[in-house]
Amino acid sequence: MSWPIYLALKQLFPSGRRLPFFTIISVVGVGLGVALMLVATSVMGGFGHQIRQMIIDTQGEVQVRARDSIRDLAGVEKALAGVPAVAAYAPYAQGVVMLDHDRRPGFPVIQGYDLARIGKVIPLERYLLCGSLDDLDDDAVILSSLLAQALGVGVGGKVSVYSPLMLERLKQNEVLLPRDVRVAGIFQIGHQQLDSSTVVCSLRLMQDLYGLGNTVHGYNVRIQPGANEDVVVAQLNAALPPDVRAQTWFESNADFQAVLSFERNMIFFLLTFIIVVAAFSITSSLLMSVVRKTREIGLLGALGGSTRQVAVCFCVQGLILGCAGTAAGLAFGFALLRYRDALVHLIASQTMGQEVFVKFYQFARLPAYTAPRDVVLIVVFSIIASTLAGLIPAWRAARLKPVEALRSE
Amino acid sequence: MIEVLRGIDFELHAGESVSVRGQSGSGKTTLLNVLAGLDRPDSGELWWNNEPAHLLSLGDLTARRGRFLGLVFQAYYLIPEIDALANVLMGARVVGPVGPTERERAASLLQRVGLAERASHLPAHLSGGERQRVALARALMNRPRVILADEPTGNLDEHTADDVIELLLQVCAEKGAALVLVTHNPAYAGRTGRQLVLHEGILA
Ligand SMILES: Nc1ncnc2c1ncn2[C@@H]1O[C@H](COP(=O)(O)OP(=O)(O)OP(=O)(O)O)[C@@H](O)[C@H]1O
Ligand SMILES: [Mg+2]
Repeated sequence: MSWPIYLALKQLFPSGRRLPFFTIISVVGVGLGVALMLVATSVMGGFGHQIRQMIIDTQGEVQVRARDSIRDLAGVEKALAGVPAVAAYAPYAQGVVMLDHDRRPGFPVIQGYDLARIGKVIPLERYLLCGSLDDLDDDAVILSSLLAQALGVGVGGKVSVYSPLMLERLKQNEVLLPRDVRVAGIFQIGHQQLDSSTVVCSLRLMQDLYGLGNTVHGYNVRIQPGANEDVVVAQLNAALPPDVRAQTWFESNADFQAVLSFERNMIFFLLTFIIVVAAFSITSSLLMSVVRKTREIGLLGALGGSTRQVAVCFCVQGLILGCAGTAAGLAFGFALLRYRDALVHLIASQTMGQEVFVKFYQFARLPAYTAPRDVVLIVVFSIIASTLAGLIPAWRAARLKPVEALRSE
Repeated sequence: MIEVLRGIDFELHAGESVSVRGQSGSGKTTLLNVLAGLDRPDSGELWWNNEPAHLLSLGDLTARRGRFLGLVFQAYYLIPEIDALANVLMGARVVGPVGPTERERAASLLQRVGLAERASHLPAHLSGGERQRVALARALMNRPRVILADEPTGNLDEHTADDVIELLLQVCAEKGAALVLVTHNPAYAGRTGRQLVLHEGILA
């Protein structure tokens, strides 16, 4: 081992003595920064994953759509059946309607599903809070929870549905009366926007409301587990009629995904400053150590050590502190993630009470997903920052002339 | 700008011992620094072992110094984080890799200065005299041709100082290293082969 590295290690971890205070402080500083970044990006990643799961649960991995509506159902279904990686598919039609219950209006998006087939694509029953899917017929709807709350209606209640078709008919001096339907159930997905403005009904009802006849707006497609969405989409697009296109869930929600990833990158960027601050604390403690060790630095020069080696000795101290702090931070961060539920519940019960918390945040478990890429980024960044932090002290040390250093008091 | 040394013409022969005395501020430390190549004189030449050290680059000069010279200071300058043996080894570490040969040599030097059983003690746990003896062992680590000692007993009580000077003279003679000893004590100066006095920058 060359002496700069040897001495760097000995100065940080002296043999037979307690760890120097400054080593502990620097390692803890970097460690806290790394742990915080790890936890924050993991929880963000967890939300991302949960949202992805929610989108896939409510739309399928792939959607097949035409510019307006699909007429050639048989042709599309033939193409869908021809791709082996497609596990299930079901047609849907969707649009905006006005609901009214007791003079309380709502303007949700209504989803019409082929009830016989949708179960294989979208696990509707999993999100059902009350009521039953079996009660859903062509004269019934299922409301999302917040919408039901806003309308003040429960299972078995009645709501009137007004569709844009009524306005169109009105222009031709025809009056179409609103459809009175039963509330067959209430569901909750765990997503504020979806839960406040979604209605599910049968495909037939939706086709009637919008005057679609036998056409549909598209197909939700579930693919075989492990199959690649992009490959399936490419295969489908080769087989589908030209005016009908397949898209992955990611493409269908590109705007939303962009916002999500912007948010993630922003948080990542902001949190890097925590590590920068920790790195500055390394700089200041190493600078102090250079001042404290001025005469020893002079001695090393007198013994035959080059200025470059003296500089390396201090740079390496930054590197070692960075590595140790990063390792400690990863350990602490993963421990926090491992016991996050216990922690969240502890904090929640101390501050606001468990029920309020679950109600308010819509989840009982804090999601977490740690992307290996993020871990690598955090590790590389914190080690580089710590090493750079050693540069200024190293430069100061290298600039000391042995004669002057040895004369200093 | 002050002129510290003037017209110094100093030659040191192999194995010789020389003492330098002089008032405080007369330039003794400056003279040793110039001899050690730590300070460059404004004019003049410095020859080490028939080599023109004044012509070497700073890097070469530094590397050469580590092997050619051993330095002993008034304030010992031991590294506090490592034990006595490691401090002795540091002399070798700085100029090249250390192996079992170097370790053995360091241990035997420590034994020679009478500190075999204190090898694993940190400098903070050694007395002043013991620290100076560790520093002496470190200076001898690379088999230097010359030892430059700047008031090595300046921080020691009389009795301990006698022991250290005794050891210094003996070991230098044994190892065949020439010695330049800066001291205030005429008794110590009297024990060297040649005695010089520095007065107002002039060596006599
Ligand atoms: N870096 C420097 N800048 C300015 N003057 C210096 C410097 N180094 C030494 N001097 C001056 O040079 C003169 C000689 O100093 P030096 O340290 O060689 O004296 P000395 O003989 O070793 O004294 P002492 O016995 O007190 O150690 C002193 O007047 C000192 O003030
Ligand atoms: Mg002096």
